[in-house]
Amino acid sequence: MRLAVHRRGLAYVMLFLTAGAVLLGAGDAYAMRVATLVGTYAIAAIGFQLVFGRLGLLALSQGALFAIGAYALALSSVHWGWPPVLGLVLSVVVPALAGALVAVPIARLESHYVALATLGLAQLVLLAVTNLEVTGGANGLYGIPPLTVFGFDLSDSWRMLAVVWVAVAMALCVFAWATGAGRAGRLATLRDAPHAALALGLDPISNRLLAFTVAGALAGLAGGFQALGLGVVSPAVARFDVMITLLAIAVVGGRGSVWGAVTAAAILVPLPEVFRGLEQAYLLAYGVMLLAAVVALPTGIDGLVRRVLPDAPAPTPTPAAPKSRKISVLRVERVAKRFGGVQALDGAGFDARAGEVTGIIGANGSGKTTLLNIVTGLETADAGVVRLDAIPLLNHSPRARAGLGLARGFQHPEIPGGIDVLATVSVAATLGAGMAALERVGLAGRARVPATSLGPAERRRLDIARALAAGPTILLLDEPASGLGAGERADLAVLLCALAKSGMAVVVVEHGMDFLLPIADRLVCLDAGRVLAAGPTDAVCRDPAVIAAYLGTESAS
Amino acid sequence: MIEATVQLLATALALGSAYALTALGFVLIINAVGAVNFAHGDLVMAGGFVAVALSLLLPEGLPVPGLILLPAVLLTMAVGGAALAAVAYAPLRRSPPVSVFISTIAVGLILQHAISLGAGPQPRVGPSLVGDGLVDLLGAALSYQQLATIAVAAVLCLAVHTLLNRTRFGRQLRAAAQDPEMARACGIDLRITIGATFALAGALAGGAGLLLSNQYFVTPTDGAMFMLKAYVATVIGGWGRIWGAAVAALCIAVFEVLVAAAVSYLVAEMLLYLGVLALLMLRPQGLFGEAEGRRA
Amino acid sequence: MTARLALDGLTVNHPDGVAVDNASFACAAGEVVALMGANGAGKSSLIRAVAGADPVASGRVRLDGEDVTALRLEQRVRTGIGWCPEGRRLFGGLTVAETLDVAATGLARDRSRAADRMYALFPILAERRGAVAWTLSGGQQQMLAIARAVIADPKVVLLDEPSIGLAPVVLDDVFAAIRRLAESGAAVVLAEQVIPRSLAIADRAIVLRRGVIVLDVPTARIDAGVVASAMLDGGSGGA
Repeated sequence: MRLAVHRRGLAYVMLFLTAGAVLLGAGDAYAMRVATLVGTYAIAAIGFQLVFGRLGLLALSQGALFAIGAYALALSSVHWGWPPVLGLVLSVVVPALAGALVAVPIARLESHYVALATLGLAQLVLLAVTNLEVTGGANGLYGIPPLTVFGFDLSDSWRMLAVVWVAVAMALCVFAWATGAGRAGRLATLRDAPHAALALGLDPISNRLLAFTVAGALAGLAGGFQALGLGVVSPAVARFDVMITLLAIAVVGGRGSVWGAVTAAAILVPLPEVFRGLEQAYLLAYGVMLLAAVVALPTGIDGLVRRVLPDAPAPTPTPAAPKSRKISVLRVERVAKRFGGVQALDGAGFDARAGEVTGIIGANGSGKTTLLNIVTGLETADAGVVRLDAIPLLNHSPRARAGLGLARGFQHPEIPGGIDVLATVSVAATLGAGMAALERVGLAGRARVPATSLGPAERRRLDIARALAAGPTILLLDEPASGLGAGERADLAVLLCALAKSGMAVVVVEHGMDFLLPIADRLVCLDAGRVLAAGPTDAVCRDPAVIAAYLGTESAS
Repeated sequence: MIEATVQLLATALALGSAYALTALGFVLIINAVGAVNFAHGDLVMAGGFVAVALSLLLPEGLPVPGLILLPAVLLTMAVGGAALAAVAYAPLRRSPPVSVFISTIAVGLILQHAISLGAGPQPRVGPSLVGDGLVDLLGAALSYQQLATIAVAAVLCLAVHTLLNRTRFGRQLRAAAQDPEMARACGIDLRITIGATFALAGALAGGAGLLLSNQYFVTPTDGAMFMLKAYVATVIGGWGRIWGAAVAALCIAVFEVLVAAAVSYLVAEMLLYLGVLALLMLRPQGLFGEAEGRRA
Repeated sequence: MTARLALDGLTVNHPDGVAVDNASFACAAGEVVALMGANGAGKSSLIRAVAGADPVASGRVRLDGEDVTALRLEQRVRTGIGWCPEGRRLFGGLTVAETLDVAATGLARDRSRAADRMYALFPILAERRGAVAWTLSGGQQQMLAIARAVIADPKVVLLDEPSIGLAPVVLDDVFAAIRRLAESGAAVVLAEQVIPRSLAIADRAIVLRRGVIVLDVPTARIDAGVVASAMLDGGSGGA
C-alpha cells in the first residue's frame, strides 16, 4: 500500500542500486572514487533542497558550511589527533550549529537580503580559512588519516563508496523526517503563503531554524567526507565553486526534490573528470546547464520523471472534528492605525459574539481589512484594545492568538505549491481534523489533488477549510463570497450559519449585501476608519447615515 | 603625513569611482526588473578583458590609449548587457525574481569560464587612460591614471544623471522602473526600456572594467568580488536608490583603502562583510531607507 | 452619434473567478458614461480590460469601429485610449512636468504645447510643475493622473474611481474637469461609486453588479435611488 505511494522513490532507488551494482561489478577504483564524490555532493545538496527548495530561500552559505565541515574534520584529526570517526561527528555538529546561527539573523529578511547575507558569510569563511594560521592558510591542512572504525580500514575505494552512500541514504531519511509529520505542508505554506502561515500560527523562526540546522549538518557531513576522501583540505573547498555546484544540482534536479538532486549530482559531479585538462571548463558546462534548466526546465529532472510516474494518491484519513474551546465574545475597542499620512483606523471597533454572524461593511479604504489584520496580529495597532472574553490579545503573537482560537480567511487566498489539498488544510491541525474541515466545505473529494490545481472558487473554500481545521472559536473572513457563483454563495451562507450555530463567532467582511444581510445577526458599518453604525442588521440597514455613506451620497461629510 | 593622506585619498577615490560606476549599473537593473544581477561583476571583468583585447589592436605608443578605447568598450559592453537581458531576463519575466538570480549566476559563471578558457587564468593589464606621468599635489605624487580614472568616472556619472533627468528617454526609464504597468499605459514599451537599462548597466560595468584594468589588472575570477561590492553598496545606500548606492560604493572604497593602509586589506574585507551582516540584522532597510515605491 | 468605444460581449476572468461577464455597451464622442457598481462589482476589471492591462477571456473592444482587442496595453494607448487607474498610481519620483512629458507624444515642441494645454485645464498643476508627484496633495495628484491619461489627446478616456480619497470641494473641480474632457470630444467612461455626482455629469448610467450589466439607461430618465438599488439589490440578475 505505502509502496504504491512512493513508486517514484522506488524507481529512483532501483536506478541507484543498479548503478551501484554495475559499479562494484566493474570494480574500477577510479569510477568508484567519482561515485563517492557524487554521494558526497548529493548529501550536501539534499540539505540545500531543504532551505532552497522547501523554504524558498536562496541561502548561498551552504558551500561555506560544507567547508566548515571539512575543516572541522581536518583540524580535529591533524591538530588534535582525533580519530576521523569522531572528526566526522564534529563535522556534523559544528556546521549544524553554524547553520542555526545563520538562520536566526536572516529569519525575517527578504530574499534579496538573504542572498547577500549568506554570500557575506561565505566570503567571511573563505577569508578566514585562507588567512588563519590554525587552518594552514593557503596551503590548508594535510595528512588527514584514513577513516577507520575499531581499527578496520574503511578508506579502501569500495568501502568508502559504501560508507558515503549509506550516509546518502541516511540523509534521505533525515530529509524525510524534516519534511515529514506535516512539516512539508508547513514549509510550503511558509514559503508560498506567508500571511496565511502567520494567521494559522505557524512559526517561521523555528521552522527556518530546523531547516538551516539540518542543512548545515548535511553540508558539514559532506565536507567531512570530502576531507577524508582527499586527505587534505585547502581553501579551495570554501570557494564559491562548491556553492555553484550545489545550486546547479538543486536546480537541475528540480527545486525541492531530493531524488532529483541525487540524480543531478550523478550527472553533474563527474563532469570535471570529463573536462579534465581543460582547467575549470566544467564550471562553464554547469553555467550552461543551470541557465538551460532555469529557463527551459524549471521543474528540473524530477519534474520530467513526475510526468512519467505521477504520485499515486495517498489514502484519505477518517475525518475527526477537533475539539474547540468555548468563548462568549471578541471585543475590539477604539483601534487606531496610521499608514504614512493616512489614518486607516480612527477608533474603530466591534463586538463579535459566539453563536452569531457579525458583518462588517464599508466603502473601499474604510479600514475593514486593516481591522481584521490587527485582530489577527498581521499588523500592529497604534492604539486600542482587543479582548477575547477577559484575555487581552494585542500583546500576543499571531501564533498565540491562533492558539486561543482565532482563525482567518483571506480575500486573495495564498495557495502553496507542491502539496495536496489535505496537507494544505492540515498545516496547523491533524490530518483527521483537516479531513473534517474539507468535508464541511465540500472539498473532501479533492483531498489528494495538488492544491494549486484547484479552481478559483475551490481555492476560496480551501482557504476557509484551512482556517477551520484547527477548530477555531472565532472565524474572521475577508470577502469570502467574491468571485463565487450563486449556488456557491448559497452553500457558503449555509456553512457560515451552521458554524455560528455550533457556537463559533463568525466575522465576515463583505460587499455583497444580498449575501450578507440574510446571514448577519449584527452589522458594523465603517467609514473612514470609524464606526458609522453598529447593531442588529435591520437597524443598521435603516440607518440614514449608513445608507448615505455606503451608497456613496456625499451628505455624510 | 599630508602627502601620504592625499596619496591615499587619491587611490581611494580612483578605486571608488570605478566601484560607483559598477554599483550604478547594478541598481539600475534592480530598479528596472526587481532582481539582482549576479553577473554584474562579471560584466565589469569582461569590460576589462575587452579593453585588454582591443588595446592589442592599437598601434604602440599612442598618447591616450585608454581614452581612445573607452567608447568602443562602452559600446561592446552595452551590447553585452542587452544580450544578458535577452538570455537571462526576458525568458523569465513572469517567474519569481529568484529565477533571475539563478539565471544571472549561470551567465556570470559562463562569462568567467569562457574568458578564462579563451584568455587564460592569469591577470592581464589593461591600457592606461592617458599614459604615464605624475602630478604633484600638496607634495603628493598623483598618477595621471588615478586622476583620469576619477575624471572619466565623474563624466560617466554626469552623463547618466543627464540621461535620466534631462532626456525624455531617461524619464521613460525612471517611469518604467517606478510603475511598469502605468509606464505601458503611457505608451512605453517595457522591452525597450528594460533592454536599454541592461545595456546602460553593461556599458557602465564595462567602463568600470576599463578603469580598473590598468592599475589593478584584470583576472577572470574578479567578477564575484565586484558584484559583492556593488551588492553591499546597494544595501548600505538603501535598496533601489541609485545615487545612494554610488556614494556608498565610493565610501566602501575609501574605507577599504584606509583600513588596508592602517591595518591590512584582509581586515578591511572582514570588517566590510561583518558590517553588512550587522546592518542587515539591525536596519534591513539600509542606512538611508529604501527607495519610494520600490518593487521587490 | 458614432460609437467611439464599443464593447462587444466582453468577459474578463480574474484569479478568483469571473470578474466581468459578457458586457456590451457603447460610448459616443462627447458622451460621459457613468459605470456604477459597488466594490467588487467588476468596474476596475472592466476598465483594465478595455485599457489593455488585463487579458480578455472573450469578446471584443472596438475603437471607432476598429478591433483593438489583440493590441497590448502600450499599443492601445497609441490608438487613442487614455487610462487613469484606481489609486492614481503616479510615478512617485517624477515631477509634474516630467510626468506630463513622459505621457505626451510627438516632438519636444508638441509635448510642451500639450503640457500647456493640461496646465490650462488644471491650473493648479501649472503652479506645481516642478514638484515631485508624491509631494502633491490628493486632489492635485488626481488632477495629474487625469492629465497624464488625457495629454496624448485620446479618443476614449477611462477613469477609475477618481473620487477616492478626495474632499467634496475638490471633487467638484475634478468632476467639472471630467465633463470638460467630454465636451472637447472624447468619449469618457467614468467608473464610480458616488452616485449623485456621477449622474450629474454623465449622459448615461450603466450599473454593474457582480460582473453583469444590470442597468443601462440615460441619466435623464433615472434618479440616484434607482441606481443605488440596482447596485446593491440582490433580487434579480445574479451571477
